[in-house]
Amino acid sequence: MSPSIDMNNVLLVAGREIRQILKMKSFWLTLLILPVAFALGPIFAESLDDDEPTRVTVVDRSGGGAAQALEARFAAEDAQWLLRDLSRYVQRYGLEQADPKASWAQYDRWYTDADIAAFERAGGLDAALEKIAAVRPEGVPQFEPDPPAYAFSAPSAELSAARGEDFGTEARALFDADDDTSPEIVVLIGENYPADPRIQLFSANQPRGSFVTTMQEVLTTDLRARLLAAQGVSPANAAAVQSAAPVIAVDTPPPGGGAREALLVRSIVPLALAYILVMSLMLSGSWMLQGSVEERSNKLLESLLACIRPEDLMYGKLLGSLSVGLLMILVWGACAGVAAYATQGAISDMIRPALDPVSSPGIIAAILFFFIAGYIAISALFVAIGAMVDSMSEAQGYLMPVMLLILLPVTFLIQAILAGNSGWIVQVLTWVPLWTPFTVLARLGMGIEWWEMVGSGVLLAGAIVIELVLIGRLFRASLLSTGQKPSLKRVIERLRASPAR
Amino acid sequence: MKVDSFTYALPVHSRGECMSVLKISNLIKRFEGVVAVDDLSFSVSPGEIFGFLGGNGAGKTTTLRMVLDIIRPTSGTISVLGSPPDRRNAQAVGFLPEERGLYTGMSAIDTIVYFGRLKGMKPADARNRGMELLSRFDLADRAKSDIGDMSKGMAQKVQLATSLVNDPELLMLDEPFSGLDPVNQGLLENEILRASDRGAAVIFSTHVMQHAERLCDRLLLLRKGRKRFEGTLDEARAALPARLVAMAKSDLSLIPGVARAERGEAHGDGWHDWTLHLSDGVDPASVLEHCSANAIALRRWDEHRASLHDVFVQLVGADPDQAAMEREAA
Repeated sequence: MSPSIDMNNVLLVAGREIRQILKMKSFWLTLLILPVAFALGPIFAESLDDDEPTRVTVVDRSGGGAAQALEARFAAEDAQWLLRDLSRYVQRYGLEQADPKASWAQYDRWYTDADIAAFERAGGLDAALEKIAAVRPEGVPQFEPDPPAYAFSAPSAELSAARGEDFGTEARALFDADDDTSPEIVVLIGENYPADPRIQLFSANQPRGSFVTTMQEVLTTDLRARLLAAQGVSPANAAAVQSAAPVIAVDTPPPGGGAREALLVRSIVPLALAYILVMSLMLSGSWMLQGSVEERSNKLLESLLACIRPEDLMYGKLLGSLSVGLLMILVWGACAGVAAYATQGAISDMIRPALDPVSSPGIIAAILFFFIAGYIAISALFVAIGAMVDSMSEAQGYLMPVMLLILLPVTFLIQAILAGNSGWIVQVLTWVPLWTPFTVLARLGMGIEWWEMVGSGVLLAGAIVIELVLIGRLFRASLLSTGQKPSLKRVIERLRASPAR
Repeated sequence: MKVDSFTYALPVHSRGECMSVLKISNLIKRFEGVVAVDDLSFSVSPGEIFGFLGGNGAGKTTTLRMVLDIIRPTSGTISVLGSPPDRRNAQAVGFLPEERGLYTGMSAIDTIVYFGRLKGMKPADARNRGMELLSRFDLADRAKSDIGDMSKGMAQKVQLATSLVNDPELLMLDEPFSGLDPVNQGLLENEILRASDRGAAVIFSTHVMQHAERLCDRLLLLRKGRKRFEGTLDEARAALPARLVAMAKSDLSLIPGVARAERGEAHGDGWHDWTLHLSDGVDPASVLEHCSANAIALRRWDEHRASLHDVFVQLVGADPDQAAMEREAA
């Protein structure tokens, strides 16, 4: 690198590059797509979520209590989910003092039928929320219970009266009605049950596996109870045998996930940083490339080179590209901040543990270094391509291998981090300058040794210096060579060319 | 690339010592074994309009690029305003390249200001000077129009303005008339004269001999990188022997000083057209005097001095008009 960089000219070129990119519709479209996608994503997800319970009708012609047992079991499962959600809510906001002895204030356990019964005896959800409301600080949102998974309804007279094949026809007619009251699942228990243990299940859609499993468990229990009763075992003893179950205690780190879940939460921001670096690099790099191609195809390079050194032109382009990339990230960051504020802490509660690994001043400095270094290292490749081609279609020939070279390892890297894997390939990628910025940023959540960070950073800085010298030569030698695609031999010659060519 | 013995001129601090705006001495440039510029020397003084003539590949553009420090010489000396070629000279140099183009998404005035600032001007000065030039070029009302929305002729005027925005002391124009319509050619000629009047040294390369004949104080002819001629227009014409066209009854080939005589059309009664090519240094008047003294009857006597076109064809070995047409077609 020449020591006599004309900063005035570098800034002028950078300013022009920025203004040119800001004039592009594609820039604004891309800038806004990400925040809009984040804003609309939850809305779409909510609209796709089927919050309505699945409507179930059981026709029990055996005269037993199978229908009631099924309904009771699903109600118990709903109560179990409710207790679990309530306990997580209490844990997240530190509201245990509302009733320290209540099952929902003890989140280190698997809720049993006894817990559910005790919860119901104590007044259920309403009573629990009343106690919580007494201690809930201002700003903490109210608990919003999920709706039950299944809603049971009595069979219609027509369905009850239908026999043989007519039953199926009648059930399907109900499905075809497609209204908000007709059942979506119909279960038929025959007159000869349990002598004939066949149960027929009619469903408008493929029934969930969990529904079928639970139904099988309940009906098996019922069937065994009837068989035990037929063997002379009292109903109370039979029920006691059936309900015997171990009490399982579960120990998880807050906010209720496992170690891998916690790791994922810590890796959210680092992975997002690596991903954003890739995205903004590709975008601003291709915009800069368009500008370079315009300069060549419009034949204005000679006019420029009469006023400015090729090196200053190159540094100006790099600075312009870096500025646009940082501007995009600033806007996206500001949008995320506004979203966190607008959701009254719901997102920030999630982000807080995610920000833990990236909140120290040293780490912030490292992020800035690897971000900017990554930008310069990769943008310089785009500059080199821009100096060699006369059209965007010609540029595609160079762009594709460069993009694959960057994207494939980064895609692998992100998957490896998500899987909690920091094996030797991730270690190797850390020390290859082209991928160092992405790897170090992505590994911040998993934890990276300081010596690895410093060592790979020094290596990256050295590689950038060499890269800029080589690409500076290529840039200078290629600028006025228009009209023919340079061969590999010619490119190597230009990389070796001294400034005094 | 091997740098043989390239040295730059030392800056000259005293204005009195620096008579030449541009001084080139023994300049050589080789590209992979091919000599593009071969031992070229010339200088251009303030206020002088200097024609840089030569066929395709003669080395004109390569020389101008070396003066601008876009490429470096293999050997020789270049002095621009007393200093070696450097972008720091950009504030005193104006350049219009042969291959022209501008940023299509930038407005005319922003383009001029951008180039002005790259040449070290203050934004306000560049804008004022840009508006002044656009007014002179009848483009003031299009100052804020994007270049992409302008006609080719308008864009060429804007490009000319970018080379003039800094009132250069050295104005270099590479094939400036190429691609211009007659109106813009006239405008460009005026700008060249205007720059010369205010003391700028102007160098332009061209294939069109009429422009060189009309504008140049001195000119230089290049062939395959080597200088074939340098001097004034009159000196160029004198470099080729004169040609006489006469109608006579006698055989004019025998007159002393006539190198070659061609007998042309017969007009009856013994009268013929004659074309006489004189030997080097022979004055046409001495031939006429000989005819008169020897009672050689003449009905017609036309003296044709060599045109710049003739000189170009003779020294460069190519027809400049043909070359110009080929360039336009390309």
